[in-house]
Amino acid sequence: MPLNYPLAEQTLDNGLRVVVSSDRAVPIVSVNLWYDVGSRHEPPGLTGFAHLFEHLMFQGSRNVRSGQHFSFLESVGASLNASTFFDRTNYFESLPSGGLDLALWLEADRMGYLLDAVNQENLDNQRDVVKEEKRQSYDNRPYGDSYERLVRLLFPEGHPYAHMTIGSMADLDAADVEDVHAFFRKYYGPNNAVLTIVGDVSEEDAFDAVKRYFGHLPAIPAPPPAPDGTIGPLDGVYRDDVVEDVPSDLITMMFRLPVDGTQELDAAALALDVLAGGQSGRLNRRLVRDEEIAQSVSGGALPLIGGVSFGTLTGIASDGIELQQVEDALVEEVEKLAKDGITADELATAQAQAERDWLEQLATCGGRADEISHHALLFGDPNRINTRIDEIRAVTADQVQAAASKWIRAGSRAQVTYRRQTEATAADQPAGDAAGEQE
Amino acid sequence: MSSQALTTPPSVAPPRPWRFPLAASTTTRTGTPVHVFDRPGQYVATVRVTVAMPLAVEPRELEGVATIMSRTMDEGTELKSANEFAAALERHGAAYGVDVSSDALHVEISVPTSQLAPAVKLLAEAVTRPAFTQADVGRHVTIRLGEINQERANAGYRAREAFAANLFDPSSRRSRPTAGTPATIRPLTNVQVADFYRKNIGPARAEILFAGDATGIDVAALIDDAFGEWTADTSPAMETPEPLYRTGDRLVLVDRPGSVQSQLLIGCPGPDRREDIWGAAAVANHVVGGTITSRVDTVLREEKGYTYGTRTSFTSPRKGGTFSLGGAVRTEVTGAAIGDALRILREARDGLTAREVQEAQDSLIRTAPLRYEQADSIAQQVGSNIAAGVPLDFADTYLAQIAATTAESATEAYRRYVGTNGLLVVVVGEAKEVRSQLAELGIDDITELS
Repeated sequence: MPLNYPLAEQTLDNGLRVVVSSDRAVPIVSVNLWYDVGSRHEPPGLTGFAHLFEHLMFQGSRNVRSGQHFSFLESVGASLNASTFFDRTNYFESLPSGGLDLALWLEADRMGYLLDAVNQENLDNQRDVVKEEKRQSYDNRPYGDSYERLVRLLFPEGHPYAHMTIGSMADLDAADVEDVHAFFRKYYGPNNAVLTIVGDVSEEDAFDAVKRYFGHLPAIPAPPPAPDGTIGPLDGVYRDDVVEDVPSDLITMMFRLPVDGTQELDAAALALDVLAGGQSGRLNRRLVRDEEIAQSVSGGALPLIGGVSFGTLTGIASDGIELQQVEDALVEEVEKLAKDGITADELATAQAQAERDWLEQLATCGGRADEISHHALLFGDPNRINTRIDEIRAVTADQVQAAASKWIRAGSRAQVTYRRQTEATAADQPAGDAAGEQE
Repeated sequence: MSSQALTTPPSVAPPRPWRFPLAASTTTRTGTPVHVFDRPGQYVATVRVTVAMPLAVEPRELEGVATIMSRTMDEGTELKSANEFAAALERHGAAYGVDVSSDALHVEISVPTSQLAPAVKLLAEAVTRPAFTQADVGRHVTIRLGEINQERANAGYRAREAFAANLFDPSSRRSRPTAGTPATIRPLTNVQVADFYRKNIGPARAEILFAGDATGIDVAALIDDAFGEWTADTSPAMETPEPLYRTGDRLVLVDRPGSVQSQLLIGCPGPDRREDIWGAAAVANHVVGGTITSRVDTVLREEKGYTYGTRTSFTSPRKGGTFSLGGAVRTEVTGAAIGDALRILREARDGLTAREVQEAQDSLIRTAPLRYEQADSIAQQVGSNIAAGVPLDFADTYLAQIAATTAESATEAYRRYVGTNGLLVVVVGEAKEVRSQLAELGIDDITELS
């Protein structure tokens, strides 16, 4: 279905790109800032810095005391947060529309004057909080380190996507206040960001308000571009076999995929959906329903902008089933799709599911603002939010097969397995992991 | 336009008045209520069937039968195999989901409105004509057993399980997992599942909700077309019994070897929606532990860096609520973190300030339009209201209760429950590291589980 969300764009003299999408149906407004800095920009030794700022940005700035960013916004009815990813960092809030000026003032104060408030004390405190975040999200859950292990196998050392956004705790420990200040000065400024406003405000009032609060901020020197991560499919099979106290045996395969913004990436993503999407995907039908060798299967593409993306397929073995059977079935299905392609019905199903996902993403002002920032920052074209469904619908079954046969191949994969400790594995297991062993 | 830095925050214009969306309510030919929430611009609609089904009716030895039933309703119908059903539904861009709570079964689809009619037909097929073959039921029993293994490895789940087992009296269904245990799941057969379905699922116990953009669609007629021949006969649902609680200060340590954090869950009984302090309790909760700026996280996260974050909440099904504080803290500071948390929870009984209460009221009232922006969140809320036995627009009552709350009434609502008859502390972590840290808390009743 064609979408026609209205979009208006201006660039301020200091380089801040501003996009406004007015929607007067709801009494709320969403403010969403994407900074062009993610973990892919982090040089060796500074991993985890983009994410560290996601914490420090809430610790106050020149005119905002620690904790006030949250308390000011919460008391006017805002929902707010931030997130860090490989390609970017985003900061956002949705709130009743009368609070738009407050939200913009807070965002401008920390864009312009964060460093007035970044000192040893809040650096130490937030470093502790980040360590607890890592323990909670990665270390204290079964399979929690699987992506860390996989991106290390999938990409060469030093590749922009070879480390996770949480970064290395050793790097964070080694950082002093001056390192942190220098990172901020390099990346955080109006000409390295997109600001989107969606909701109950006219385009004119929104642009005026942005100029009022951001207009005086100076541009920063052009930040260094992220290293180019362009790279083709993996040249073999790279394994990391883990034996530890996990609830069930699990396998995840990871494939390099085409860069985001291309029809080839859309085609590869649809191929993974045909395999692993929903209840009707090939893997669920075969592994879970028909053969009952897996408790569950999942997977999908993770689009990225820095020269290459990646995608995954995961299976959790049924109790009493050797994980090798799950691996063999995954390999067979991957190769079968590459060789024989997909049916028109499978393509239509994957496209219909992608359409629903996309419409849901745009169903709130906050979700729409996020996608507008995303497409403005990474592709220079916010109107892609209105054309995405047509682009996905335009992909053909032949393109899906072509993308799959190039990128999603059994012989071009990284793979992590987790097996429960048994008497046999206890005897076999050498000290340390077999990470990076090539077949 | 030129600008310069403002050193003080700009003023905020008052919010527009807001109230929960109104439903157009009708019934199907066979008497099932249908509530249509027309939300222009919401191109993905949710259709939700909520069926009154108190979990207390499950036979003790077959607990989890309701969950297995809910998971196999779409795994083959009288007309289609499991694979055919999934393919048909997903071909229309729909996603299907079920949820079993203490009081109700919820079955729902979300689907682009352009595909509404065929998707609702399939929803009706799953709800009214499930096949329950032994192959499909047996597979889901096996999957549930695997899921229990995953749950046991999950620190948060272990904490919730131990919390329920120790907060509620063993005679209460709520003391045990909603989805059953290995002993009660393993013997389940399709005969028992079908029997449970026949006794409990019928049009007289159901209500059907639609939320989404209804422009140009006669939603009530479309739902009647799909559900109008549903005539299964069921007796009225049993009223959910009042749960019985255990009381007193006590601590349960669940050993989870290899843990690098301790998962905490601290709490006690709380109000349910039948009490008019429900709104005041929410205000008190917001002050004490409902946000990152609340009393608990100001100390545990922002001052001490013990945790990525904790939250408190009052939650409740139809009868008998709970209060709890949950979060994960570093193993080495587990005792200190529990000590701080208990002190803060108890000190809040001495009084919440007018300023704290005002900020909490403003936040809770003014975030309402955000909470119900998406069609699906309306269907979720209304389904939960039906299950709890309160009016469809209970959100308005709740907001009015919050608006009328004072510092005194918020404190009073909090004091009525939190710390009044003791607090239960559940710790899931590395027992050999944590054990010695717990001695200084002054809790005599300590149980260790593995």
